[in-house]
Amino acid sequence: MLADSLSSCKVLVVGAGGIGCELLKNLVLTGFKNIEVIDLDTIDVSNLNRQFLFQKKHVGKSKAQVAKESALQFCPSANITAYHDSIMNPEYNVEFFRKFMLVMNALDNRAARNHVNRMCLAADIPLIESGTAECAHLGYDIYEGMTECYECQPKPTQKTFPGCTIRNTPSEPIHCIVWAKYLFNQLFGEEDADQEVSPDTADPEAAWKPEDTAARATASEKDGDIKRVSTKDWARSTGFDAVKLFNKVTAVRQSELLFKDDIMYLLTMDKLWKKRKAPTPLDWQQLEDSGSGLKDQQVLGVWGYCQLFQHSVETLSSHLQEKGEGAELVWDKDDPPAMDFVTAAANLRMHIFSMNMKSRFDVKSMAGNIIPAIATTNAVIAGLIVLEGLKILAGEVETCRTIFLNKCPNLRKKLLVPCVLDPPSANCYVCASKPEVTVKFNVHKTTVLALQDRILKERFGMVAPDVQIEDGKGTILISSEEGETEANNHKFLSDFGIRNGSRLQVDDFLQDYTLLVNVLHTEELEHDVEFEVVGEAPDKAPTPPSNQEEANSITNGNKDSAQPSTSSKAEDDSDDVMIVDSDEEEAASSATAKPAPSSGTKRKHSDAETGETSTKRPRTTQQSSAAADNDDDDDIIALD
Amino acid sequence: MAATQASKEQKYDRQLRLWGDHGQETLENAHVCLVNATATGTEILKNLVLPGIGAFTIVDGHTVSGEDVGNNFFLSNNSIGKNRAQAATELLQEMNSDVSGNFVEESPDKLLDNDPEFFHRFTIVIGVHLPESTCMRLGSVLWSASVPFLVCKTYGLIGYMRLVVQEHTVIESHPDNALEDLRLDQPFSEFKNHIQSYDLDSMDKKDHSHTPWIIIVAKYLEKWLSEHNCQAPKNYKEKEAFRQIIREGVRKNENGVPEDEENFEEAVKNVNTALNPTKVPTALEDLFNSEQCNNITSQTPAFWVMLRAVKEFVHNEGSGSLPVRGTIPDMIADSQKFISLQNIYREKAMQDTAAVSKHVERLLQSVGKPPESISEKDIKLLCKNASFLRVVRCRSLAEEYSVDSVNKDEITSCMDSPDSEMVFYLMLRAVDRFYQQHSRYPGVYNYQVEEDISKLKLCVNSLLQEYSLNVNIKDDYIHEFCRYGAAEPHTVAAFLGGSAAQEAIKIISHQFVPFSNTFIYNAMSQTSATLHL
Repeated sequence: MLADSLSSCKVLVVGAGGIGCELLKNLVLTGFKNIEVIDLDTIDVSNLNRQFLFQKKHVGKSKAQVAKESALQFCPSANITAYHDSIMNPEYNVEFFRKFMLVMNALDNRAARNHVNRMCLAADIPLIESGTAECAHLGYDIYEGMTECYECQPKPTQKTFPGCTIRNTPSEPIHCIVWAKYLFNQLFGEEDADQEVSPDTADPEAAWKPEDTAARATASEKDGDIKRVSTKDWARSTGFDAVKLFNKVTAVRQSELLFKDDIMYLLTMDKLWKKRKAPTPLDWQQLEDSGSGLKDQQVLGVWGYCQLFQHSVETLSSHLQEKGEGAELVWDKDDPPAMDFVTAAANLRMHIFSMNMKSRFDVKSMAGNIIPAIATTNAVIAGLIVLEGLKILAGEVETCRTIFLNKCPNLRKKLLVPCVLDPPSANCYVCASKPEVTVKFNVHKTTVLALQDRILKERFGMVAPDVQIEDGKGTILISSEEGETEANNHKFLSDFGIRNGSRLQVDDFLQDYTLLVNVLHTEELEHDVEFEVVGEAPDKAPTPPSNQEEANSITNGNKDSAQPSTSSKAEDDSDDVMIVDSDEEEAASSATAKPAPSSGTKRKHSDAETGETSTKRPRTTQQSSAAADNDDDDDIIALD
Repeated sequence: MAATQASKEQKYDRQLRLWGDHGQETLENAHVCLVNATATGTEILKNLVLPGIGAFTIVDGHTVSGEDVGNNFFLSNNSIGKNRAQAATELLQEMNSDVSGNFVEESPDKLLDNDPEFFHRFTIVIGVHLPESTCMRLGSVLWSASVPFLVCKTYGLIGYMRLVVQEHTVIESHPDNALEDLRLDQPFSEFKNHIQSYDLDSMDKKDHSHTPWIIIVAKYLEKWLSEHNCQAPKNYKEKEAFRQIIREGVRKNENGVPEDEENFEEAVKNVNTALNPTKVPTALEDLFNSEQCNNITSQTPAFWVMLRAVKEFVHNEGSGSLPVRGTIPDMIADSQKFISLQNIYREKAMQDTAAVSKHVERLLQSVGKPPESISEKDIKLLCKNASFLRVVRCRSLAEEYSVDSVNKDEITSCMDSPDSEMVFYLMLRAVDRFYQQHSRYPGVYNYQVEEDISKLKLCVNSLLQEYSLNVNIKDDYIHEFCRYGAAEPHTVAAFLGGSAAQEAIKIISHQFVPFSNTFIYNAMSQTSATLHL
């Protein structure tokens, strides 16, 4: 009976990486016939040690497509559809999700996990979530109305670094590495105003005073003709001719600008160095050769990195030239010159700021957010979650478990730790019946764009939000239709009458998701903190957490990057990995490791109950009249 | 050659971060033998071929059937009728061209009859779905040849693994929460001199706030010892008082407000672990006292020679302590201060390692072996990991199965709760007994399920009787095992394939600690247990 339902059951696999490959194989061999798989990534050499559906000849091709072809070779009778695309593409709307009986996530980033979670809630389709750490795994099920949704438990937000730390006062190697990646984009890649690398004079800590102007002027003089302008403008001014800009001479010049003159300039901001050790500028001429040979895991001398810097700038600029006018390079941890560039630039900066330099191998780990990954862990987790899938299809949701696999047996000699799924959290800002959230920020300093990008998209995982102010007039602040509210972008929220206690109704039509945002105005946020979600204490160590909380902090551990990984984009490795602190883990597991009774009744699954639909709560169908149609009487304001 | 090296580094990048170049090298030198290419067998091998073992050999006398194709990803319709070892080798080989795949179209029993030494050549032998008699025969051949043997079985919704290895030594056990080896409680003379070179009071502000926390703790500890009869802070109260002294050491500005000195904060935070007394872990003491360590012959493996040398070091140059590990954690400090402190530890570690090397050399000489038979690199690695050395010893299958040496205590104490994973172990043993009597597994033919239930029950009872085990096995389990009909569901095989391959990698690389000695996975409740049998 179950076998019949398998062959007719349509299942969506999101992600065709480490877990995705295993999942596809397991599904096909378990008897699933109709499978759709989606992945936006292409195959990289470093995938081959575990993503067994791919071979060397496939490098550079679509993961989803090759996975499909390889799986079909083994099981020609299966009906597999592959999409080389992002699941966040609006094409994959609620209707798309409704085609499936089951959705299985094999993702590596939280943005996509959040999105699929919402789509599944909207479409009322069960979702099985999974992830692995190098030696710890987890899989769990989300069943609307009966279990927690992915976003019921707050997840620690991704670690980001304040701009001032990156630009002025790095104190850890990672700050220098982030800076070097920004620099790469500034010189060769896509423009991003948030990725500025030159000293930030607006740093409140520097507290610019008039009497400092003299020192500043001296520093400026040293620049000669070059004014204190952004790196990009400077690069542009050095030559509309790309050859001149990046030839050998200017490469030296450029490195002096970045590693000598900018540092001299930073030194003039002496407030910054009262409590810190001041940076030491580097002078190209004075550096002497100290060591040779490039080996991955070895730390070169300063001069070695100077040479590496020069060499990589030359290579990259010639790549840029080959690509022709207006071309951009995309930083990729697996592209040797790009990796060399970041290694060299980051190490020179580390040296300047008195940090111990790092080998290319280590820099690559940090710059690429690389997490070790092996075949065995993926195999284990994929085996587990297909069994969970079978339970759902057999209608035995109540027997589903969140399962943790420990690195080593816990005190009760258990490797696997199943936990009963929690019911939905009433306060969840996603699956509650009327989701509401309170956000604290300064209405005079927060722009509409920041609200859209930082708060709604980044923090609350929306794709194309529409925002309406609940001011009785239904003023539309942000419209997802192009060209309607862009003029508002750089205005402050206070310009629209938003103040303490204002309420914003935010809709994402694709996700069929409405969120009410309560505004709490404050002027007392810490420096570099743009906003705070009330009721959450991100990045705080969990104080004696309940089991489930602990569980979730593992699932979405600090390595869960906010961005999808692709071979050609910067972030993350293709397997989502959570580093499990064994202390916490042990505490969690010893507390929860009750062997679930394997009584006879559980095994007779044919007489399963069927009443789960009745327990489902109705989905909020409240449609906002706001941005849906623009010919009604809502006034769209654009201040000038 | 250089090019292939670089491409290997790229391909294996993610796993090199787990076990390093030297771990990868051991994998690439490994030759793994798989007996029986069932779904579980090929899943295990897949997870070993992907990370790049050197070679594998499949031993399998079976011909591929339609059922095989149904649950085995590495057999296709075209393979039906072919020898299973050959068919699976061809498809497994496709996944990694760096791996050499071989096959032997013979049953293990036949090989054991004709050429038992055939199995001596392997780094590890993995036996899947072996009948009890074959398993015992193969087990005893491998036991006497000291070849690790991993027995695996997927039976319905139950997975089973048993590791059989006389002695497995682990240098890099990768402990999770290793304490640093800082010797603050008994500073060596170079470290003492280094501490003396600091004078916290006369430093300028910048230097003061960039002094490594280790120095800060050492300085205030000196002060504490002189005031407390040379007794370091031990209990919470004393440690708290000690922390307070450090806090008071923070510089104050002209208004008497303490400055923001992060290095002092670090010092306070680290007091607890930093004051841990330096001592030889008891587990290591036990190894020092073991037969292998004390009786070095020309046959003694390098691990034990080096361990003995470390023991000599502890009793002589080390005055009771292990060689200094030579690493310090990252901390707030300027480069110059950090590096000079790091060098103090590093150089001491080098000295200690050199002393251990001398002992190694002497020991080797005493049994007539050349000193270069153990490399400096290996000695260095062992010294660095001295606190974390592990030796895993498993019982042989013969011991487990013998009526005289069966681990009755473990079985009966587990069976106090009748749904313990132990019940599945007993059921698997009963099923083996059924196979011996009937040459087929219970419930494989639907029409026989009912009569098989009573037959299996007889097997269960005779098993319990033979071992005089006074435990109760619920009828539910007997029904359930008949219902399985020896099926091998792919998802269970996939799970076991991942777990078993992971253990095989631990055995091959001698890194991380393998399980000992029996692992049971219950796919119904998603639970598992490790048993000592």
